Order: sequence, then C-alpha cells, then structure tokens
Amino acid sequence: MVDDIKRKLNRRNLIKASGVAGITAFAGCISTSDDDSGDGDGGEGSDGSDSGGDESGPYSIGMVDSLTGSLSAFGERNQRGKDLALGRVNELGINGQDLDIIVEDSGSENQGGISAAQKLVNQDSVPFLIGAVGSGVSIAIYESVIQETDVVQLSQNSTGLNLTDFPGLLRMSPTGRAQSLALANIIADDGYDSVALTYVNNDFGQSLTDAFVDAWDGEIAYNSAHDQEQSSYSSVMSEMNNSGADAWLFITYQAEFTTMVNEAFSSGYEAQFYGADSAQGSGVLEGTPEGSMEGMKITLPSAPIEQENYQAFASAFEEEYGQEPTSWAAYAYDCVINAALAIQAADEFTGAALQETVGRSHDHRASKCRPSRMRMRSSPTAGGPRTSTTRASVARSTSMRMAIRSASYRS
Amino acid sequence: MSRLDNWVDYWSDLTRAEQGVTGSIALFAAVLLVGLVTGGLNPTYFLFLVGLAGMYALMSLGLNSQWGFSGLINFSVAAFFGIGAYGAALMTSDSAPILGGFDPILGLVVALSLAAVMAVLIGVPTLRLRADYLAIASLGLAEVVRLLVLNERQWTNGSGGVRGIPRFFDGWPVLSTFPQAMPGLEIVIILGSPIELGTPFYQMLLNISLVAIFVGASYLVLRRAHRSPWGRVLRTIRSDEDLARALGKNTYSFKMQSFVLGSVIMALAGVFYAHLNLFVSPGDLNPITTFYVWVAVILGGSGSNRGALFGGIVVVTIREGTRFLNEFAWIPFDTAPLRLLMIGVLIVLVMKFRPQGILPPQRELIWPDAIEGSETEPERHTNQQPGGDTNE
Amino acid sequence: MSVLELVANGLIFSSILVLGSIGLSLIYSIANFANFAHGDTMTVGAYSALVTFGAVGGLGGSVLGLPYGFFVALLVGAAMAAVVAIVTEKVVYESLDIGSIGLLITSIGIAFIYRGLIQIGFGADFTRFDIVALRPIEWLIPYGIRVTHHDVAIVISAAVLVGGLHVLLQYTDLGRKMRAMADNPDLARISGIRTKRITLWTWVIGAGLAGAGGVFLGLFNQLAPRMGFNLLLLIFAAVILGGIGSIYGAMLGGFLIGMISQLTPVLEMVGIPIGIEYSNAIAFVIMVVVLLVRPTGIAGEAT
Repeated sequence: MVDDIKRKLNRRNLIKASGVAGITAFAGCISTSDDDSGDGDGGEGSDGSDSGGDESGPYSIGMVDSLTGSLSAFGERNQRGKDLALGRVNELGINGQDLDIIVEDSGSENQGGISAAQKLVNQDSVPFLIGAVGSGVSIAIYESVIQETDVVQLSQNSTGLNLTDFPGLLRMSPTGRAQSLALANIIADDGYDSVALTYVNNDFGQSLTDAFVDAWDGEIAYNSAHDQEQSSYSSVMSEMNNSGADAWLFITYQAEFTTMVNEAFSSGYEAQFYGADSAQGSGVLEGTPEGSMEGMKITLPSAPIEQENYQAFASAFEEEYGQEPTSWAAYAYDCVINAALAIQAADEFTGAALQETVGRSHDHRASKCRPSRMRMRSSPTAGGPRTSTTRASVARSTSMRMAIRSASYRS
Repeated sequence: MSRLDNWVDYWSDLTRAEQGVTGSIALFAAVLLVGLVTGGLNPTYFLFLVGLAGMYALMSLGLNSQWGFSGLINFSVAAFFGIGAYGAALMTSDSAPILGGFDPILGLVVALSLAAVMAVLIGVPTLRLRADYLAIASLGLAEVVRLLVLNERQWTNGSGGVRGIPRFFDGWPVLSTFPQAMPGLEIVIILGSPIELGTPFYQMLLNISLVAIFVGASYLVLRRAHRSPWGRVLRTIRSDEDLARALGKNTYSFKMQSFVLGSVIMALAGVFYAHLNLFVSPGDLNPITTFYVWVAVILGGSGSNRGALFGGIVVVTIREGTRFLNEFAWIPFDTAPLRLLMIGVLIVLVMKFRPQGILPPQRELIWPDAIEGSETEPERHTNQQPGGDTNE
Repeated sequence: MSVLELVANGLIFSSILVLGSIGLSLIYSIANFANFAHGDTMTVGAYSALVTFGAVGGLGGSVLGLPYGFFVALLVGAAMAAVVAIVTEKVVYESLDIGSIGLLITSIGIAFIYRGLIQIGFGADFTRFDIVALRPIEWLIPYGIRVTHHDVAIVISAAVLVGGLHVLLQYTDLGRKMRAMADNPDLARISGIRTKRITLWTWVIGAGLAGAGGVFLGLFNQLAPRMGFNLLLLIFAAVILGGIGSIYGAMLGGFLIGMISQLTPVLEMVGIPIGIEYSNAIAFVIMVVVLLVRPTGIAGEAT
C-alpha cells in the first residue's frame, strides 16, 4: 500500500516535472509577434507572408466560386475566364514568378462561401480573394471573414446593390443600380407608363428591384418575386398578363427566364419584354422559340466591343473554348488580371500592400458608380443584335471598359 | 492493479467497433496535431472547423434525442436551426428590421423560446401521424417556415439577410476585448514554419469556448434526461408505442416534450452560428442541412449521444475535408459534383455494412445504479440494433 | 386571366406530378419505404431521353407537334429509368434488412449518386429538347384557355399511362399479385406469390413512370441536374395527401397538389393577400390540414 502510494506519487511528480519541462522548452519557441508585425488591432495573422512567394514558389491568391448549387452555371463561366487569364499571366510571369489561384466552392450558399473563405484566408493565407458570385454570399464572406482582416476581396459577379454599403468590398461587375436606372429610363423613353415586373427571390433580385422601383416614375402594375429552379412559372405569367401592363420587366436568371418566355409563348401572351443582364445569354437564345423575344431590350454591362483589348480577349476565348465569352467570364478574367497587376505593383505580397495597389490599377469601387455619368447616344441599327446604346462610363480597368448598354433581341 | 493493467483491460473490453473508432480517432488526432505543429494546418482555420463540428454535433444531439430516443422522424432540423439563428440575429443586430440591439444573452433566451413555440406548432399536427408521414409533414412545414422567412421582408429583411450581428461576448467586461488584448504569439516548433497566433485566433478561441459550453451543457442535460424515468418512458415509446400506451402513459405528451427538447438544442446550434458568422440569410434554412444532420446521426449511431458527436465531426470532415481534394488537380472530374457523389456512396456503404452506425449505444443505456453493487458486470455487447450484425 | 386558364395549367402540371406520385406510391407500398431518389430517377429518365432524341432525331412525321423520335426517346427514357432502378434494387436495396427508415436514408445516398453522376456527365447548366415550341391552340383562346398541343400531348400521354396502369392492376395477373403484396406481403408469400419477382416488376413500373414523368417535365420546362429533386417535395406531399398504400390515392393526391399550386392566384382574386410565392407553402399546409383530419391520407388505409 505504501509502495503503491510511493509509486503514485512518483508517477505524479514525473508527470508534473515533464509538464513543466515541456512548457519551458516550448517557451523557448514562443515569441510574441507584436513587435515584428504589429498584431495589436490589425489582426494580421493572415497576412499571407508565409505562402506568398518572395523568392520561391508562386504567388497564391484565392477564389470563391459557385461550382455547384443554383448559381453553378455562372461558376462554370467564371472558371473559363479565370483559366484563360491565368494562362496569359503565367506566360509573362509576375516578377519572375507564377500566379496560382486556389479555387474553393461556395455551393451558391452563404455557409459554403464562408467556409471557403475561412479556408482561403486562414489556412492558405491568401492576401487577395476573388469572390463570390451571389451578392448575398459576397456580403456574408465580407462580414464574417474579411472585414476584420487586411485581405482584399474583389467580387467577380455580384451586382446586388447592398455591396455598396461595404467600402472594403470591391467588385468587378458594376452595381445593379446603374442597370435599374437605365431600365427605368429606357422603359419610360419607350413610352410606357405602367410596368409589370417579376424578380428572382434573392439578394440580387431584391436589390435591383428596389432600385428600379425607386427610379421608376410611372405605375407598377405588378411586382412579385419568384423562386429559383421551379418547374413552372405559369402563375407568374398569367398574373403579369392579367395586370394590364404592356411592359414586362424580368430581373432573373437565364434558366428561369427561359421557362417564362416559353410559357408566355405557349400561352400566346404578347408584351414588350425588358430584362436585366442576368436574363440573357446563349442558353436563353437556344432554349426559346424564334420570335418569342422580338424587340426585347436588355441592359447589360458589356465590354465595348470596338475596343481592341476586348477583341483580343474575345478571340482568345473563342479559340480556347469554341464559344463567345459571356460578360461573366470577362469579369472573372479581369479580376485575375487585376490581381496580377496589383501584385506586380505592390512592395510586398501582403493584404495591406495590395489594398493600395489594387486601388490604383482598378478604380472600380462600387461606391464610385455615378448615374450622372450616363450619356444617351443612339446609333442606327447595325444589323447585329445590338441597337441604340446608352453608354454609362463607369470606370476604367485594365483590359475592359465597363459600359451599360441596351441590347435588343432580334430573333 | 497498476494503472497500465487497467488500461489494457479497458481496451480489450471495448467492442471491436469501439476499438476501431478509438484507434482511428487517435490516428486522426495525431495527424491533426502534426499538421498544427508543422504549420501545415492553420490553427485559426482548425478552430473554425472545430466550431462547425460543434455546431453539427449540437444539431445531431438534438436530432438524436428525437429520433434515437423517441423514434420521431424529424425532417425539420433546418427550420429550427434557422429560427435559432434568426432569433438571435433579429434580437441583437443593430440593422435588424424589427427589434434589434439587445444583449446576446437575451437573444439566446428569445431564440430558444421561439424554437420551443414553433416546435409545439409543428408538433401538434404531426406527432400523431405514423412515422414516415411525420417525416414528410415535418419536411413540408420546414419549407413553409423557410418561405415565410424568405418572403416576409418586413420582419426578416428577406433574402438580404440580417447582418451586423455582434459577437456573443461583446459587452462582457473581460471577454469582449480578449482577442485584442492577448499578445500575438509566434510559436516555432519546427524551424522555418512558425505558427502565428493573433487576434483572429483568439477570437476563434472565444467562439469555440461558446460552442463547447453549448455542447457540454446539452450533452449533460440529455444524459441526465435519458437516464431518468422520463427517458425510460421515451425508450418504451420508441420500441413499442402501444405497450407504452397500455401502461397508461400519455405518449403524445411525452413525444411532444421530447420533440421540444430536441428542437431547442437545434436552435442553440443556430444561435452559435449567428454569432460565429455574423450574418444570417434564408439560405441557411435550406433542407440540405437536415439531410446532413441525418447522415451524422445515422453514421454515428442512433440512440447514442457520443455517436451523435462523432457523426457531427465526420460530417464536417467530409464537407470541408473534400476541399483539400482540389490539391489533386489530376482528377479529371469537377470536384464539386464528385463530392456529392462521394457523400452518396458513403451513405450507401454505411447503411449496407454498418447500419446501426459506428458507435451504437452500448452500456451508456444502462443505469449506473443497476451496475453498482451487482456481482457481475454486464457484457458490453448489449442492445444491438435490429439488422446488420448479430454476433458482434 | 380566367380561372379556366389556371385550371388548364393545373391539369398539365398535375399530369407530371401524377406520373411521379404514382410511381412513388407503388414503390412505397411494395418495397415499403419512402424513396428519396425518386425525383432523381425522373432526372435520369429525362436525360436518357435527351441523349436518345439527340441521336435519333425527328424520324419524320409528328403527332401533336411532337416528332415520332420524341416518343421513341420517351420510351427509352422510361426504360433507362427502370433499368437504373432495378440495378439499384439488386445491388443496394435487396440485401438491406434495416427497416424503412434505414432504406429512406440509403435512398438519400442513392439520390446524391444519381445527381452527382448526371452533373459530372452533363454539366450544371440547363438545356432543352430540340423541339420547336408551339403557339396556343386557336379555338380554345376565346374560352380563356391557353394550351399548346404539347401540353395536350402531356395530358393525354399521362392519361394513357395511368389508364394502362389501372388496367394492369385490375385485370392482369401481375396486377393482382401486386395488389396482394401491397395489402399483406406475408400472406402473399404464403399463397405462393414470388415476392422478389413482383418487387422487381414494381420497381420497373414505378421507375418507368417516373422516367416518363421526367421526360415530360423536361418537355414542359427544361432539363437540369436538379430538376427532379426540386419536384420531389411536391410529389411526396401528393403521395401523403392521397394516402400511402393506395395508387388511386396517389393519383388523387397528385392531381390535387398540382391544381393547388397552380390555382394560388385565385386567392388574390378573392381578396386573400397571399402571393404566389407561397404556392408551395399552401400546398404543404393543406396537406397537413388534411392529415389532421384524416391521419392516413384521403384514401389511405389505417395501419
């Protein structure tokens, strides 16, 4: 019994001693990083000074994209644009290094986006994050992960208006406000004073609709949200028809819009269609019958196709993928180019430094979209799919100039 | 007996499954430790994952309490999770369309009460139904809740979500400035890969302590409840409801109580989520969360609290661990649908080869009083779930 | 907008739902579990038809605006869905002895597998059949009904399939055995019915109907990897509403749920301020209300 106690005491002492020894040994490895990197309030644990390559290894930045889920079509287009840009950047190299983009899937959901951003910011220590597609996801990522750090966030596709409220959250796609204003102007100019509108029930749809309702002077005969990915929107179309308005506005995505057009067509409804940029694309053109969208007008931020560098981009894209680029692919392309230029111009590969240079090379903060810079200019029909252009010069960026134009479907 | 002999005895006493699980957990923990020490796994991200695992573990505990102990097939997990999150968000956020600006503790109380009320509302029409009807009905009502949250913009800000949620410990005297006050540390265990611990790390540490408190409290409450006479009645209802009724128990009332208890725990997970991400939106009520929690419970072992914890950890590992597949760019397929495929295959494999889950309840279902003072210890291989192995 | 028009829309949507809900109810009553992979079985049928139609083409000639090739594709789609279901049954479900909830969970896994494979194979973007869209039928427009020949084709085909099922169940040997099994499997086995074979046939018919439903859904709307899953909840609501164990209940349930979801605009017409964004929610609430009054569903049997 006494032996037992002795043994127990010895064991206990041994454990204690080893614990103390361990801590002292450990302590030798610990040092405060307060002096070197000023950890006080800046929260710079994610500076990215480890994984950024100064002498060795590529520059790693992160990208949160919707590879699955309801916005996965956008994700696919973004990936094409990003791959093309990455190829071009790495042909030339940045300061002799390659650019590496770590892509994480948001699943088109806030939680997925936040987990993706957490991994990229904390685990991979990227100082620059391209993300995300859905406006709600971008805001969630910013509020939850990016806000307290120095990481630069640049959204490739989010057009919801609420992003403007976050000055630290940059985006390549223009705010939907310009579109909503343009739409209000165009519809009014076409002589309609009553409009029926339907929008997709998420942050993007709601914010654009709110802006449109603000800007629109006339009557709104019908205003209703619809869910994504439903099998049938015939109730919506019936109600729009019933509202008596002759101008119908659709703020929704391609899949939903295709369904609606088909249902309107097969019900024999006739009206003048208007749409936001998200409603147009090759999928819609392929999926809808001839003449079903005759004369429809869409506002879309698109590249000024006369510009040389856009044409170079478009032909490279077509060569690589065999199809015309969408504006989404172009935005993603631009994000990557922007990041590369910012890295090149920066003194060091940290979030703080990149905040400076990205501001210089790309003046595209959401808060800078001013509708007062819109100019009306109409040019005669050129036979192609686009007619009178309303050009709103929003900002300059390196490879594309953003413009708001109205386009008509000729089918 | 020396302590070492104790350990050897204990080890051989475990079932093979438990040995396997303990072994793999130890291995997994070792891998994580190595990753942390070498700087391969960032501690802040690691803690974030732990937080997610805690969240899923909470929801699994709640669902396990409803399904594992009372036999209620509840497919409305996402709705309770969302109500917890929205309750906390609307109460505490400054930019909430209604209420707002209250203390997070008050937000917690309100969120849990809201969940309890909603549990009663959902339970009243559904708990009398047979099992699979309950499943679909609860799923349908969860969708109704989600649509309400999405469309009633004047209450919930609709799809814009509620942002500006404060951290849970904001406003507490010491803890609110803890992350900034703690010194930034740089630990060098292996030369060349320093581990940096800065403000984000301490912030995450606070979050983890919150979820640890929640999980711990729920676990203890559930363990107590399930070993009580109340728990016994629930177990009887699960195996044979007619018998329970014949014994004079008001089964409906018991089922309702169990339903409410489980739902409140799920709402607790939602409250934690709101204070972790500082942003909630209607997408958080997506039914896919319900399916993941079910996978966690089935995988872990129905009727077992520690199985629920284990399941929660496994689900988070699968969901977030597959992100690391991106490193293997030589896979010709997109990783995202591949992940969906892998989860499906995993579910099927588990159901085929180990349907009672990895850690089915064993001795934890026997009251300790029954063992103390008896001469023989009961075998560990008790209470096999129907189907699957018979001679384990 | 007349109520007649909404009713017509409801009829078309119901036809698709009915095809799905009957299949689900069949499987439910004989294999005894809620098959969460049913929606994705519809997707499988739709995509098989897409591939077939692309390969076969129009085959000259058409009826009701649908080329003969489409009907060939329809058959292939239904057949492929049936084949996939049988393979799943043989490989996965048959050897499992874990009760209906375990099978339910397994079917969730199977659903993920179907969906993942389709997305890997076809990408996430939506697509359509290469069939010319039609204008509404002229002589119906004055009545306020706006349907095209395609819609008529959907309704007629669904009616034919359902009618065929009815004939099968009531007048053939197989149908009798299926009803016997649904009623009391042990008694059926004792009386010499080869339950395994009947189960397989049930899967064939159930999944085949689902595949056909998927093809029509693709025609009615469009094809996407999530198309079936998005409809699944409504199909379940239809089956529960009609009552498990009753095929006719499932038909009724599918019809009702389809009509309810399309007739929601009527509410606003009579002054109840519930918008159409709640149409799915209304369908579920009605289902729950019916269950309160009749806990086994409208035509279900008491357990």
